[in-house]
Amino acid sequence: MKFDRLSFLCLLAGAALASGCSSLGVKPWQRDVLARDEMRLDANPLDAAIDDHMYFSKEASSGGRSYAGGGCGCN
Amino acid sequence: MQLKPKALPVKAASARRRLMAASCALLSAGAAQSQEPGAAPAGSGLLEDWSVDSALAYYHENGRVTAVEPVVDVSKVFADGQSLNFNATFDALSGASPNGALPSRQAQTFAGPSGKRTYTIAPGQLPADPNYHDTRFAAGANWTLPLTRVDNLSVGGKFSAEDDFISATVNASIAHDFNDKNTTLSFGVFNEFDSLHPVGNTPVPGSDFTSLVRTGGKTKDGVGALLGITQVMTRNWLTEFNLSVDRFTGYLNDPYKITSIIDSAGNTTGYEYENRPDQRTRKSAYWENRVAWTSQLSTGLSLRYMSDDWAVRSDTAQLHLHWSLSNRERYIEPTFRWYRQTAANFYTPFILDTLKPTTNFESADDRLGAFHALTYGVKYAQKLPGLGNRPESEISVRAEYYQQTFNERVPVPAGLQGLDLYPALKAVLVQIGYRF
Repeated sequence: MKFDRLSFLCLLAGAALASGCSSLGVKPWQRDVLARDEMRLDANPLDAAIDDHMYFSKEASSGGRSYAGGGCGCN
Repeated sequence: MQLKPKALPVKAASARRRLMAASCALLSAGAAQSQEPGAAPAGSGLLEDWSVDSALAYYHENGRVTAVEPVVDVSKVFADGQSLNFNATFDALSGASPNGALPSRQAQTFAGPSGKRTYTIAPGQLPADPNYHDTRFAAGANWTLPLTRVDNLSVGGKFSAEDDFISATVNASIAHDFNDKNTTLSFGVFNEFDSLHPVGNTPVPGSDFTSLVRTGGKTKDGVGALLGITQVMTRNWLTEFNLSVDRFTGYLNDPYKITSIIDSAGNTTGYEYENRPDQRTRKSAYWENRVAWTSQLSTGLSLRYMSDDWAVRSDTAQLHLHWSLSNRERYIEPTFRWYRQTAANFYTPFILDTLKPTTNFESADDRLGAFHALTYGVKYAQKLPGLGNRPESEISVRAEYYQQTFNERVPVPAGLQGLDLYPALKAVLVQIGYRF
């Protein structure tokens, strides 16, 4: 059976999510660390947008974190 | 009979006022803590309590394009959970843009896209249009609306206009929280509509460069979907996993890119416009992890794999460290990114005049070749006292260095040996930011 990297990444993330299912998550009063700015997945949206624009115009890949559309004639 | 409250003794009235004041203080503190950052109390003025994030970026490539890009993003979270976001970007680009042709032992002269001027490239130099310039304005908006306590609907749109390109995108997504809000499942779709009006009209794909066979404006459209899950793993670990697919159809060529036609000795005998397929489907998997190691140090690691039906496969890994200093008043973020892609199955740096390409499609655009790229970056940010009644603001400076290196180099005729046919792209980005 042939596994490509897409399947491998799915399996790896799935294994991480499934590992220790009983202990996943925290109680509401345990969110102090997760509440820090730097722990937000979109902590620096402008930095990400500027980087994404640069990579979109210089590489054949885009998206993943969010939509792949470019809205730019540079590629 | 009218009942009148009995007048309280002075001492009791004073005690009641103090009690009421203490209660109000407690309630207002509680309300402030329960709101999201940036949340505005109901009924506050529309222009109050907006969060503003702004940046000015300067981008420069070695001997190629320079860009200046101011960006501003304003957002507001309302007390009922709704949020609004508006953003605007302006780009001004100028410099030399590679046209796709190979360097040659002889000087090469090209007509510019408008056909009104020419430029000459010295022997051994990478052909690039030295008069490239473009401006771009983009604006977007996003509105998030809570449907229930655990469901959010988000809709948005984006519009951008360049001298030769117009794009409009609409998107919508829905997110559902469960497992005590430790898990969020989201699904979103987008639709993009692009209109191209190249300088000098649109070349016919694959046509001879000098014959000027051109048509009018072209369009391309894209549609895509993204399925994501965000999971709180532990008190210090947050993970996100996304699967996405998109499909673009229409005129997918770069109208300014050409391919050299060479003879067996390596002499350039002509050029033709690139000819890409008119549809492309991409699939990607993206996994990001945020982990707080200590009260000062946290990391973000993201991995992405993408593949498309042009045979491009890419791997991306990005790591950034967040190091808080001086009681969280300053922070430093070093970043490292590694990227690798395979070539599109129609990519070719040149066409031998005795051989046709293996398919009807061809492109010498180096963005479709096989290369790897490294990015090194660092960001420094300092918290400042807030403006007006705002608690604080942040000023930052960020610098990145980006370099591409080609991985596969095809055998070339003797006449081209010794020429740098794959010059590495090197770029620097410097950005200052201010948010309040």
